[in-house]
Amino acid sequence: MDVPLYLRPRVDPPLASLLGAAPFLHSLVDALGSPLNVLLPETIAENAERFRAVYRRHHLTGRVYFAHKANRSSALLRRLAAEDPAHVGVDVASPAELRHALGCGFTGDRIMATGPKDPEFLWLAARVGATVNLDSLRELDQLAELVRTYGLGRADVLVRLSGFESVDGHGGAGTRLLSRRSRFGTPVREVETVLSAVERHADAVTLTGLAYHLDTTGLAEKGRALERCVLLMDECRARGLAPRAIDIGGGFGVGYVADAEEWERWTTALSEAVLGGRPPLTWRGHGYGLRNEGGTVRGSVALYPGHRPHAGPGYLDELLSLPAPVLGRAPGTLLLEHLHDLHIEPGRALADQCGLSLARVLDVRPTGEGPDQYLVRLGMNAGDVSLEEHGVLVDPVLLPRGGPEDGGQGPVGVHLVGNLCLEADLITRRLVFLPALPRAGDLLAFVNTAGYAMDFHAHRAQRQPLARTVAVVGEGDSWRWCMDEDYWPITHPGGKPV
Amino acid sequence: MRYDSITEAIGNTPLVRIDPAVHGLRNIDLYAKLEMLNPFGSVKDRPAWHMARPHLEGAGAGEGTVVELSSGNTAKALALLAGMHGLRFKSVTNRMRVPEIKELLLLLGAEIEELPGRSECLDPTDTDDPLTHFHQALSEPGSTYLHTDQYFNPRNVEAHAAGTGPEIVKDLDGRAPDWFVACVGTAGSSTGVARVLREHDPDVRVLGLVAHKSDFIPGIRTIDEVHQVGLFDPATYDTIESVTSGEALDGMLTLVRRCGILSGPTGGAAYQGAVRHLRDADSALDGSGRRETAVFIVCDRAESYLSYVRARRPELLGRAVRGHTLASLTEDDVRAEALSVGVEAARRRIAEGDPGPLVVDLRSPHAYAALHIEGSVNIVDELFEELVRGGLPFGKRTPVLLACPVGEKSLRYAALLTRMGHPEVRSLAGGIVAWRDAGAPLVRE
Ligand SMILES: Cc1ncc(COP(=O)(O)O)c(C=O)c1O
Repeated sequence: MDVPLYLRPRVDPPLASLLGAAPFLHSLVDALGSPLNVLLPETIAENAERFRAVYRRHHLTGRVYFAHKANRSSALLRRLAAEDPAHVGVDVASPAELRHALGCGFTGDRIMATGPKDPEFLWLAARVGATVNLDSLRELDQLAELVRTYGLGRADVLVRLSGFESVDGHGGAGTRLLSRRSRFGTPVREVETVLSAVERHADAVTLTGLAYHLDTTGLAEKGRALERCVLLMDECRARGLAPRAIDIGGGFGVGYVADAEEWERWTTALSEAVLGGRPPLTWRGHGYGLRNEGGTVRGSVALYPGHRPHAGPGYLDELLSLPAPVLGRAPGTLLLEHLHDLHIEPGRALADQCGLSLARVLDVRPTGEGPDQYLVRLGMNAGDVSLEEHGVLVDPVLLPRGGPEDGGQGPVGVHLVGNLCLEADLITRRLVFLPALPRAGDLLAFVNTAGYAMDFHAHRAQRQPLARTVAVVGEGDSWRWCMDEDYWPITHPGGKPV
Repeated sequence: MRYDSITEAIGNTPLVRIDPAVHGLRNIDLYAKLEMLNPFGSVKDRPAWHMARPHLEGAGAGEGTVVELSSGNTAKALALLAGMHGLRFKSVTNRMRVPEIKELLLLLGAEIEELPGRSECLDPTDTDDPLTHFHQALSEPGSTYLHTDQYFNPRNVEAHAAGTGPEIVKDLDGRAPDWFVACVGTAGSSTGVARVLREHDPDVRVLGLVAHKSDFIPGIRTIDEVHQVGLFDPATYDTIESVTSGEALDGMLTLVRRCGILSGPTGGAAYQGAVRHLRDADSALDGSGRRETAVFIVCDRAESYLSYVRARRPELLGRAVRGHTLASLTEDDVRAEALSVGVEAARRRIAEGDPGPLVVDLRSPHAYAALHIEGSVNIVDELFEELVRGGLPFGKRTPVLLACPVGEKSLRYAALLTRMGHPEVRSLAGGIVAWRDAGAPLVRE
C-alpha cells in the first residue's frame, strides 16, 4: 500500500474540543442511539458575526438571512433568533419552515420567504409580515389577490431575477459570460413585465428590493448579477418605486478538507485511477463523473470543491471587492454609494462547524479483495449523512471506545457501509483511510455535517432508527447537552437561566 | 526578406545561447528557442496556421466562425488569421484570467464566451454542462463553425514536427540536443519536437513542465489538467515536473533582465525548470570531459502579463509617489487635521452660508446620478485623487464640503486639502448615508 490518501476534515476550536471529549460523545450515543447528530448553537451565532464583520469592513447595512433548508434544527434557529433583529433573519422555503421560524422566536419582519410558493405559504407569509421573495409573476398576482381578499397589510416583496447572461451588450463588447440555467426567479429580460405588475399591484405589495441566487462558485458571474441589480434598482427608482435592498442569495461555500495538499493529491490520484494508472480509490472504481476515453480523462468531476481558499465570509469579501465589469467599481462600493442594503442568505456557510454526526461501528471485516482493505458497517445509512449526495468527501474522525488503542496497526483503508440491506448503501464511495482499524463499539464522527448533510435525506427506510439531534454547550472544560427541541438560548441546557 | 503574406513569416525562429555566467551550468550549453519572435507573438502561430490553413484557404470570404477553447496565444493567432480571411473568431474559455490578453483579443475582433463556474449544489442529473452545449452546437447540421480543436488535433503536433523540431536540429549543426525542455499546454510543441529529436537521437531526454497544482501559470496546465488533453501521452516525457508561478516569474526576470530576452511567464517557467533539473546532470558531467546541450522554448513575450506580475510581485512595478497623496497621511494626521460637520449643521451652511459651500460628491457618476445632494458636483474619488496631486482644485475663499458614502474617504481628503492650505474644508459626517437616514432631501438627475 502506498501512502494513505487522507482527506482530514477542517475542525475549528469549539468543535475540536468537543471531539476531544470522546467519553462524553460515547455516553450520548449510549443513551440516545446511533446515529446521533450533535449541534453547537453558539457557533452559528459566531458565523453570523463573521459575516457581519465583512459588512462592517465595507460599511454596509442589511441582513444575514439563514437559509433554513440547510438544517432543520430548532436550536440553531433559536440561537439566531436571539441575535440582533436588525442584522440576522431567516430564509424559509416552505410553510413548515415558516411556522418553525415563528415558533423559534423570529418575528415576521425578520423572515424572508423564498422558493416556489403555494397560496397557503403566500397567505401565511403575508399574514405575519414576512418579506416575499417572488419566484414568478404568477406568485405576485396570487399574493396581491390574497392581500386584497383577506384584507392583509401591504406585503413587502423582493423580485428574484435569473438569466443574467442573456442581457445583450452587458459585460463589454465581444464578451459573453455563460451561466448555468436556473428554473427559479424571473429572467432579467422579463423584468419590465414584473415591475409593471408590481406597479399595478401597488395597493397590495411594496417592492423592497431585487434578489438572485445563482448556483455557481464563479465570482465573476455573481459580480455581474450584482452589478446588473444595481443598474436595475436605478430603473426601479426612475419608475418611482423605492426599493432599498439587493439580496444576493447564498452559495458562499464551506471548506471541508483542512489541507490543500491532501485534497490535491487525492483528486490527482482520482484522474490517475480513472486512467488505470493506479488502483481504484473508490468502491468499484467509481470515477465521480470522470471517465477514460482512449487514455484521456473526459467528463467533469462531480465533487464539492473540498478545499476552498475562500469560503463563507471570505468569499463574500472577495465578491464585494472584485471590480465590476460595467461600472468599474467593486460591488461593495457600488452598494454603499447607491445607499442599498445588502441581504445575504447563506445556508451551508452559516452552518459551518456547527455540528457533527456520530455513528457506532457495528461490524468490521475484510473485503476479501486486498489484504489490507476492510468493510466497516455503521449504525447509520447514506440517508443520515448525505455526503455522497452532496459530493462532500472528507474522512470521519475515529473515536475509540476506550481511548486510543495500542496494537499500533497503523493506517488502514476501509469502505464505510450503512445499516440498510442495499448494495447501494455506502456512506461514501471513497476508500477511506483511518489512522487505525476501528472495532465494533467505536464511534466515527462525521464533522461539519450541519449544512445539508445531517438530515437532508434521512428517511424511515427499513425502520432503521432516525438520528436524534442534541444541542451541546461548552461549560469550562466540560459540556452540557439537551435535546435539540429543548434548547433555548436564554437558559443553559437543563433550564438554569444563563 | 520580402513576403507576400504575414503567414510566411511564421517559423524560422532563432536559437539563442544563454550565457553560462547567468545559468551557472558548467558542462551544459543551454539554448532558448525564441518562439516569441513569430509574427503573432507566440509558439502557437505555427499550429494555429497549420490547423486552420486548409479551411481558411478554401473558405469563401466572410462565411463562418473559427472557434477554439483558448484563453491566450492560440486565440490570438487564430483571431488574426480568421480576420485576414474575412472570418470571425470565437474563443470559449473559463481561463480568461489575464485582462490584457482578453482586451487584446477584443481588439483583434474576437468574441469571447466565458464558461460558468462550478455548481455549488451538486445535481447528479445536471446535463447543463456548458462544454457539452459547445460540442453540441458545433456538430449541429448546417453549423458554420470551424473548430480547430487544438487539444486533440494531430495537426497541432505536426506543425512542430515539421517546423520547430527540424529548425532546432539544423541550428545545432544536424544534431539533436541531449535535453529538450518544454512547458505543457496542449502538449503540441513538446510532442512534435520530441518526436523529431528522437528520430535523430533516441537518447534525447525530454522534460515536460506543468504548473503546480494549486497555482496558475497562463498557458500551461496542471498535472490533472494534462490528463484531459487528447495530445498528451506520458510516454513523450522522460520526466514531468511542476513549477510554481513564483519560479516562472523568477525565470522570466532572469531572461528579461540578464539575457535581453523579453519572455513571458511560460518561457520563464521553462528556463527555471530547465536549470533546476539540469543542475544534477551538470554536476555528474564534472571531470568527464563531455559537454551536453539543452534547448528550452520561450513561448511568448512579457508585455501581455503585466497585470499577472502586478498581482504577484507588485514591488516589481512600483510607481514612485509624487505630489500630494492620501498615502502620505497617517490615521493620526487625519484625526488631527480633518474637520467634519454633521448633517444638520451642513444643511444650515448650505442654506445660509455666504458664500455657501461647494458640495463635492466623491461617489461614482452612476450613484451620483441616482441620488445626490441638490447643487453638489460629482468628482469621483479616483479622479479627485489625481486632481489634488497637482494642487488645490478650488480657490481658498470657496468653502468646500466633501461627501462620500459614510464620511470616511471624505474625511481623509479633508485632511489632505487642509494640509495643502485650504482654510475651510469640511467632511460630511456619516456621509450620504447619514444624510439619507436623517431624512434630508436627495435628488435624481
Ligand atoms: C434562494 C436560496 N437562498 C439561499 C440558499 C442557500 O445556499 P447555500 O447553502 O449554498 O448558502 C439557497 C440554496 O439552495 C437558495 O435556493
